Amino acid sequence: MSDKQEFEPRIIYILCSWCGSGGGETAAAHHLHYPENVRPYRVNCTGALPTVHIIRPLIEGADGVAISGCHPGDCHYNDGNFRARRRVALVKSILDTLDLEPERVWFRYVAHGEGRRFVDTATEFNDHIKKLGPNPLKTRSDT
Amino acid sequence: MLEGLKINKGAEEAVRDLLRSLLESGRVSGVLALGRTGRGNGGVAYSLFTDPDAFGADGVALPLLPFMPANAGGLLSRLTLKGPLAEPVAVVVKPCELRAFIELVKRNQGSPDNLLLISSTCGGVYPLEVGANDALEERLPGYWEAVKQGELDSDIRPTCRACVHFVPDNADITVALLGEADLDTQCALYLNTEKGAAFIEGLEDLQGTPLLGELEAEPIQRSRDQRAAYREELFAGVEAGLEGLIRTFGRCIGCHACKTVCPICYCSLCYFDSQDCEYRPEVYETELERKGGLRLPPNTIFFQLGRLAHVSVSCVGCGMCTDVCPADIPLSTIFSKVGDSVQALFDYQPGRDVTEEVPLMTFEEEELVQVAT
Amino acid sequence: MNNKGAILPAEDGVESAVIGWLKEALSKKVFDALLIPVEVPAGDSFAYLLLRNPALLENASPLPPVMPVQGAKAISRLTMRGNGSKRVAAIVRPCEARAAIELTKLEQAHLDNLWLITVDCPGVLPLSDYLEDPVAGAARFAEASQRWDRAPMRPVCQICHHFSMPASDLHIGTLGSAEGTVFVIPGSPKGERVMENLGMPLDAALDDWAARVKEMEEVQRERRRQAHTDLKAGIAGPDGLLDVFSSCINCHNCQRVCPVCYCRQCYFESAALKLPPENYLARAGRKGALRFPPDTLLFHIGRASHMVLSCVSCGTCEDACPMSIPVAQVFSLLADRAQETFGYVAGRSLEDPLPLVAYEMDELHQVEQPYVETYHGLQIADCEQEVQDA
Repeated sequence: MSDKQEFEPRIIYILCSWCGSGGGETAAAHHLHYPENVRPYRVNCTGALPTVHIIRPLIEGADGVAISGCHPGDCHYNDGNFRARRRVALVKSILDTLDLEPERVWFRYVAHGEGRRFVDTATEFNDHIKKLGPNPLKTRSDT
Repeated sequence: MLEGLKINKGAEEAVRDLLRSLLESGRVSGVLALGRTGRGNGGVAYSLFTDPDAFGADGVALPLLPFMPANAGGLLSRLTLKGPLAEPVAVVVKPCELRAFIELVKRNQGSPDNLLLISSTCGGVYPLEVGANDALEERLPGYWEAVKQGELDSDIRPTCRACVHFVPDNADITVALLGEADLDTQCALYLNTEKGAAFIEGLEDLQGTPLLGELEAEPIQRSRDQRAAYREELFAGVEAGLEGLIRTFGRCIGCHACKTVCPICYCSLCYFDSQDCEYRPEVYETELERKGGLRLPPNTIFFQLGRLAHVSVSCVGCGMCTDVCPADIPLSTIFSKVGDSVQALFDYQPGRDVTEEVPLMTFEEEELVQVAT
Repeated sequence: MNNKGAILPAEDGVESAVIGWLKEALSKKVFDALLIPVEVPAGDSFAYLLLRNPALLENASPLPPVMPVQGAKAISRLTMRGNGSKRVAAIVRPCEARAAIELTKLEQAHLDNLWLITVDCPGVLPLSDYLEDPVAGAARFAEASQRWDRAPMRPVCQICHHFSMPASDLHIGTLGSAEGTVFVIPGSPKGERVMENLGMPLDAALDDWAARVKEMEEVQRERRRQAHTDLKAGIAGPDGLLDVFSSCINCHNCQRVCPVCYCRQCYFESAALKLPPENYLARAGRKGALRFPPDTLLFHIGRASHMVLSCVSCGTCEDACPMSIPVAQVFSLLADRAQETFGYVAGRSLEDPLPLVAYEMDELHQVEQPYVETYHGLQIADCEQEVQDA
């Protein structure tokens, strides 16, 4: 059909082991679908996600990185998601200052029971990245 | 076995075509060589190329560029550290880089399997600074003129001008550059191993005549003599003794960059960065009491002497250390000088033979009686 | 605490006045030792010396023309394993003091028995400029710093607005003081006690100094703003950024000399990035080539994500770069923006918690991706289009 459909984004969807992944499981239980090119990447807690793990995929081949964990106050480890929010803010600040499209990084809370919200995030992010186009960094061999 | 091939193209074009053919034909899966980075406005780095177009006339690859942003021996170690290559990869490296790689292989820091080693008779490289100032391009005509006459351009690094190991050992293919007057139209490839010959045989784009010459001809011998003389001169300028060392290393800032770029220094955590060198305040206070004053951070000379003890036996004189030093200390001269004496002590030459054991990893029952009294 | 200071006579210039004052403090046992830059025997650089012998002060300088080693590194080496029993006064540039404060928060230094003494700072020369001709360099520095002309200094010194009193224990104010004098200003109870022990009454008004500092700060802020705007335009996007780092040789000097980068083994040199050959070949296959060693850009952006929140824009990284890459300029831009996001200023105060350690429940909502309603998205829209087309 149209050009944009030929571009299938490579997306990493970072999920915490509790609410994030749980959202995925609830979606499955309700037979909800999300795009196959969105690859889940599980971490124990978004608070344990090093900043480098957001940056590295964007350099090596991902078109977008989404991160979902528990809502504020609901983190299984109490405050991991608050720390994650600060780290995401730091990475976005760096990407923004360098004009490297911080909008390729999304941070949204998804609770264990929010199956709909999980697939909506995956789908919405996929469409968003399709609009942005392929990540120019990933074809650079001199990174 | 075909021992050599004289190709009817200028050296730069011939080497680029050779590498492009190797990739296009699928005989190799990748080529490690120098190439432009960024938008082609100054930066040069080694790259692992898989696209044959990189070696086209408009491509970014510059395999014979007289520049060494990193010692490729260390890069080959990085490439094969976790295991041997499963597919063939060709590499274009300088003789000292090849020697460094051999030393690393002896230490289990890399594997030569499936590597097609291409080197050349080396006319030296320019200091890193020349690359930093984006002034490499304008040096090239002078460089090639000198090489054709078997000479080194005046701006070539002192380390290179003092190097006597500029004919590669252990390369599968040697590109003859130094002293070849017809470099603009002809390129002589010496096929030193069966492996080298097998990769070349029947390659398209490589028309030429069998070569029956000698690599060690007069220009090579003359260059070696000149460089040996300069080496002596350079070494004579090293300030020895404790006073001399303090003067030389007075401006050392302890950045350890020399260690980071040295191909032989492969330790993930250097001793001098480890907890062993993180002293409790009482240690400093005791030293202070004793001496009245001490430099902080400590261990400036200790680091240099220690590194000499660790690497001098395998120092290949590549000169990366001098190039990278922010304090302009002529490290390579000092390390090569000490390296020469240590290597002579053990009758050892780094990079000569991969089966020759590193002296500190072996011993004889009866030897070095002058040391034990 | 900044309201009053003492006046120190300085007829023979700032250097000799400060050295004389420190000698007095040593002999009166107000301090047990000093940590101060001293000219090296060959006369071609300066190194930090921890000394108790006043004779060693002969070649010392409180304001040397270069900063080969960031003073916070020296302070950290001395105190990383704990507080010493000796009272040490460290005479450092404001950015070195600020880095020492950051390192203390990061548990890499202990300042209980260490007095930070700073001086109003005109900047330092780029190390390579100085090394070309140390004697000429020293003269050039002396002349320019007299007039507060920052043109010959490091690029980040030229745009520095933190050149005056940081959260140090004592500060020598050279701006706005009467001819032939300097101010000695306490910044903490520890500092006040020292001045008491030295019999220095806090009876001098500091209004002139404060006014002159404020005036210069405004000029510097504007310079910084302009420089950062220009720089941001020049390094924008993959093209701009990879141009700047196109000549990087991965020596990691910048990381090694940085006072804030304290990891014994840097992540970017660890086993995490040492991969089997199949990985390198696959990446090279996907992109047509793979720069070797790989992960150059990852190193710089990743290192930025690790340290910019504590970056004090000292510029030592740029001095150490063998390829003359404007690392400090790039990092000071990233640092300003990132620190601003958290309302944090590196080295401002020991009381400010590190931004990645603290958090608020209600903050940074601009980073959260809002979810308003169920998403139907392009898929549904395409289906509708298909139905229409059919």
